[in-house]
Amino acid sequence: MEILVEESNVQRVDAPVTICGDIHGQFYDMKELFKVGGDCPKTNYLFLGDFVDRGFYSVETFLLLLALKVRYPDRITLIRGNHESRQITQVYGFYDECLRKYGSVNVWRYCTDIFDYLSLSALIENKIFSVHGGLSPNITTLDQIRTIDRKQEVPHDGAMCDLLWSDPEDVVDGWGLSPRGAGFLFGGNIVSSFNRSNNIDYICRAHQLVMEGYKWMFNNQIVTVWSAPNYCYRCGNVAAILELDENLNKQFRVFDAAPQEARGVPSKKPAPDYFL
Amino acid sequence: MAMLDEPLYPIAILIDELKNEDIQLRLNSIRRLSTIARALGEERTRKELIPFLSENNDDDDEVLLAMAEELGVFIPYVGGVEYAHVLLPPLETLCTVEETCVRDKAVESLCRIGLQMKESEIVDWFVPLAKRLAAGEWFTARVSSCGLFHIAYPSSPDMLKAELRSIYGQLCQDDMPMVRRSAASNLGKFASTVEQSHLKADVMSMFEDLTHDDQDSVRLLAVEGCASLGKLLEPSECVSHILPVIINFSQDKSWRVRYMVANQLYELSEAVGPETTRSELVPAYVRLLRDNEAEVRIAAAGKVTKFSQILGPELAIQHILPCVKDLSSDSSQHVRSALASVIMGMAPVLRKDATIEQLLPIFLSLLKDEFPDVRLNIISKLDQVNQVIGIDLLSQSLLPAIVELAEDKHWRVRLAIIEYIPLLASQLGVRFFDDKLGALCMQWLEDKVFSIRDAAANNLKRLAEEFGPEWAMQHIVPQVLDNMNNPHYLYRMTFLHAISLLSPVMGADITFQKLLPVIINASKDRPPVAFVTIILCGFRVPNIKFNVAKVLQSFLPIVDSSVVEKTIRPCLVELTEDPDMDVRYFAGQALQSCDQLMISG
Repeated sequence: MEILVEESNVQRVDAPVTICGDIHGQFYDMKELFKVGGDCPKTNYLFLGDFVDRGFYSVETFLLLLALKVRYPDRITLIRGNHESRQITQVYGFYDECLRKYGSVNVWRYCTDIFDYLSLSALIENKIFSVHGGLSPNITTLDQIRTIDRKQEVPHDGAMCDLLWSDPEDVVDGWGLSPRGAGFLFGGNIVSSFNRSNNIDYICRAHQLVMEGYKWMFNNQIVTVWSAPNYCYRCGNVAAILELDENLNKQFRVFDAAPQEARGVPSKKPAPDYFL
Repeated sequence: MAMLDEPLYPIAILIDELKNEDIQLRLNSIRRLSTIARALGEERTRKELIPFLSENNDDDDEVLLAMAEELGVFIPYVGGVEYAHVLLPPLETLCTVEETCVRDKAVESLCRIGLQMKESEIVDWFVPLAKRLAAGEWFTARVSSCGLFHIAYPSSPDMLKAELRSIYGQLCQDDMPMVRRSAASNLGKFASTVEQSHLKADVMSMFEDLTHDDQDSVRLLAVEGCASLGKLLEPSECVSHILPVIINFSQDKSWRVRYMVANQLYELSEAVGPETTRSELVPAYVRLLRDNEAEVRIAAAGKVTKFSQILGPELAIQHILPCVKDLSSDSSQHVRSALASVIMGMAPVLRKDATIEQLLPIFLSLLKDEFPDVRLNIISKLDQVNQVIGIDLLSQSLLPAIVELAEDKHWRVRLAIIEYIPLLASQLGVRFFDDKLGALCMQWLEDKVFSIRDAAANNLKRLAEEFGPEWAMQHIVPQVLDNMNNPHYLYRMTFLHAISLLSPVMGADITFQKLLPVIINASKDRPPVAFVTIILCGFRVPNIKFNVAKVLQSFLPIVDSSVVEKTIRPCLVELTEDPDMDVRYFAGQALQSCDQLMISG
């Protein structure tokens, strides 16, 4: 916690680094990710949030990432996703998983306390802005993000909420209402002016399932990276990570879900009703 | 606390914890049963503990299961074999519960106890128990009884034996299919204790009944009986009694029964003997290989090699090979995968010519299968073919396909190839290897996937061990050292890793003269001058630097102590002043090893 509290809302990250999107408790698929991308600390990592919920192993996933963060704070960066929240985790599985595995909600309580300290975004070599969701109408400069008091539950609206909830959208010009009920939809012109005024090359974000693992939009000004293969164990998508070398050259590495032999079978799984 | 109180109030604790609401505590107390029995002494165990357990049997299944297991090894605690019978009543009750696991465990424990009991005790206690269960009103008791007859029977006098046989016959015709299933699956064990004269009369008629059962779940258990009964009968009787049943089963209307036949075919063919197999079972097997149901074909395909071994080359080529050809393009990937996992074993059976003519094309098509598991299964067994057709032919025909797979888009396939390379290298010999595979081995070091790069580095080490340091010095080391200038840090890291793996193989001199200078250079992680002009920013990646520290640490036992002091230590000292804390940490670790080396050296 002392490590996280020192980090800025726009955490500075050096290249080379490998950027990963949503994991969603798919622990064995995250191990597959490390097989493809390399182990930490050999490879530097930036995870864009949504470590928990939906998959069967949210606890294992988040605790492994946290352990790596504690041991190698300079080699791995974790920023907050919209699922790193008390309210959301009570609905989408992390709370139930903790209760089932430990018989009490203490682990959930400690983890959600840590969520409040996670940084909101990262800036790689002053050129690539990374955030879980997207932009906010309340924010035009990175300095505005730096002034947010982030140590709190994710609010229902406002800049902090938007960074974690918003989505880019082709057909929207300017700002649009988000069907998610939080954050906004934003169009290409918003991205262009944000990138120009902050002197950055492109935005890297996660938050939305893309079947091919990654997707560029608005003439390569924003890219979505998704790292949960076969999302919810049923979507059939591939996952991707974005490897940036020391000169910021980009390489997407696409990977499949871990084969059955490489994963344990979840014991007694009542189909959680949010799957249906 | 509990441990201290145990000798004083063991039964009180047990009763207390057995009534506890927490199932874990109840389980713990059952698991400590032997400790408690020892504290109580034999007599009180017989008179208090066992009756108490007999009464407390409406607990959770998990607790009952543990109890059934514990009681099976309880003879020493009740006073030895002559008191073994006191253990029977609680187990008898457990034989009647709803949960199958508990019943099975209770039967297992009863058999274990029965095996140690004296003949007279069996007749007095065990046989009546088996009879009571067999006559049980509820089917669970009757299901359990079937598993006890093979213990009860041998010790009984003739009259009782006749009665037991007739009871078992009734169980085989029980109204409940579950009972008939249990009778079918225990028939083999029971039959092995019955005298030859009764075997043909009584047991075979029971078997007959079961094979005509209208439930397929009963019939498929009878399939297993074929093999075990077959082993008890004379070969001629086997042919007349068992063979028709097998042939019938192989055409059963239920695919589950046919699947069972396919699965058990090797055991069945052992039962009827090789000659009959060749003449009678082949058509049945061919039918199974061409079955409509993929599950049946999977089971049958998995047996082609074992079955061909019995048939010998001619029959295998004539009857089995055509089916194998069809299976290699089966519509189900699982059938092809099952075939691929065993087909390489056919090469020694078919011998060289037939392998080259008939099998190689099938191998090739499976190597190009769209399903990665199929390809993997072939690759992992290549050596079996090598022994038959020799390395030249293998390399001519299969190597191109292997090289293609070395660039397969599934990284696990590439990984399987890499892991096979050292074996291939030892078989191909140096010259051949250089021509065909040398380049691939270097190429893998720059694979997109970390696991492949890691395996590639290990592969180089194993090649250096295989072909010796001189060869490695010519063919591996220069390329690896050159590549330390790769502009991507993950690739530099791979080469760094390869160097650290190679150094123990290469020995002190080469490590000092060739490897060490490159590593020292890498500690600054700066591109050579020529590169700087092209790439504007230098490397200076902390990940490289702290791995350099680790590599230097691994060099310590290899090189001279003067080298350590003159070259390695200064470099490490410099790294301990790096701005990055991970670099400082690992350099510090390596320096500590230096110090220890100086003290011990």
